[in-house]
Amino acid sequence: MKTLFHINIRTALILLLLFAPSMVAKAQDSRIQMGGLDHLAAKASQTVDVNIDERLMRMAAKLFSDKDEDEREVKALIANLKGIYVKSFEFDVAGQYVAADVETIRTQLRAPGWTRLVNVTSKKEGMLEVYLLFNGDKVGGLAVLHTDDKEFTVVNIVGPVDLDKLAKLEGQLGVPDLGIEPQKPKAKNDDEK
Amino acid sequence: MNDDYLWDKTGQPDPQIQQLEEILGTLRYQPKPLAIPDDLRPPQRRNYFPMLAIAASVLLALLAGGIWLRVRSRTEAPVTQARVEQPTPAPQPAENKSAINPPVLATNRIHRKRSALSVLPKRERQEALEAKEQLMLALRLTTQKLHLVHTKTQSTPPANQIKNQHRIG
Repeated sequence: MKTLFHINIRTALILLLLFAPSMVAKAQDSRIQMGGLDHLAAKASQTVDVNIDERLMRMAAKLFSDKDEDEREVKALIANLKGIYVKSFEFDVAGQYVAADVETIRTQLRAPGWTRLVNVTSKKEGMLEVYLLFNGDKVGGLAVLHTDDKEFTVVNIVGPVDLDKLAKLEGQLGVPDLGIEPQKPKAKNDDEK
Repeated sequence: MNDDYLWDKTGQPDPQIQQLEEILGTLRYQPKPLAIPDDLRPPQRRNYFPMLAIAASVLLALLAGGIWLRVRSRTEAPVTQARVEQPTPAPQPAENKSAINPPVLATNRIHRKRSALSVLPKRERQEALEAKEQLMLALRLTTQKLHLVHTKTQSTPPANQIKNQHRIG
């Protein structure tokens, strides 16, 4: 009996040692699982699927020139990122996705650490939500969820996102510069709608 | 007895000398071809010329191929395209969408990356180019959405705004 007890304790310790690091890593990971949305690709008229992990990020970073100012800024932005994942579906007709599809993403964004900074709802543009993951005072990830009748877009940036640098990219990637100023998290909470 | 026999085999030979001659005669030189054992034969000299010629030809071909690839990569920069899946023919986008969202199809001609690209192997280079294109697409989409959020938050009127107000004076 005593031997059986010792074996059980030893097994439990081994299991704890095996799984504890992965559990801690998962708790701190800002990666959102988007695999549940793949079925929407068959209904979508246009699908954008971007999966860039850390390795690809490092490879892509090598191609950005240090001489060009724009590219230098992009390089600085992605320098510490662990990944960028995007799934965007555009549909010809409305109602191609259901609330459960949105909920698979939103559930993950309710996890500890995630803070919804902005939630904009309009008839024309649907619902736009911006979330940040905070590790203490530092930003550990960004998520943008945009849903309207004919569009379902999820953007997930894993790693320390520098909002200053991200805002600076505005106007350099084909988006007109309309003066998005980086906002402090507390101030953004006040702006929440 | 004279000693002529010892010099030119003339005259009367001495019996003792004759006996000695008979005994030692068996050891007399007898001409026969030289027999060399097989294991003592010197190795045959190999002819390396064909091998050297083949190696030189391969080397020259590789060199020529390398130069050709280098010249080709300089003359035409690679055109990369982001991965955008379109299972059905592209529909006519709504006017409001087209005004806000530019087409996500993105092409980019790389001109300034030669030094960085030339360092990477071909397969890795292709992968890096695709990753960069996807990265730019993702960043573009992100900034687009943030821009939309910004415009929406800026355009929302304050709750206590007084309408139909006129400047006095």
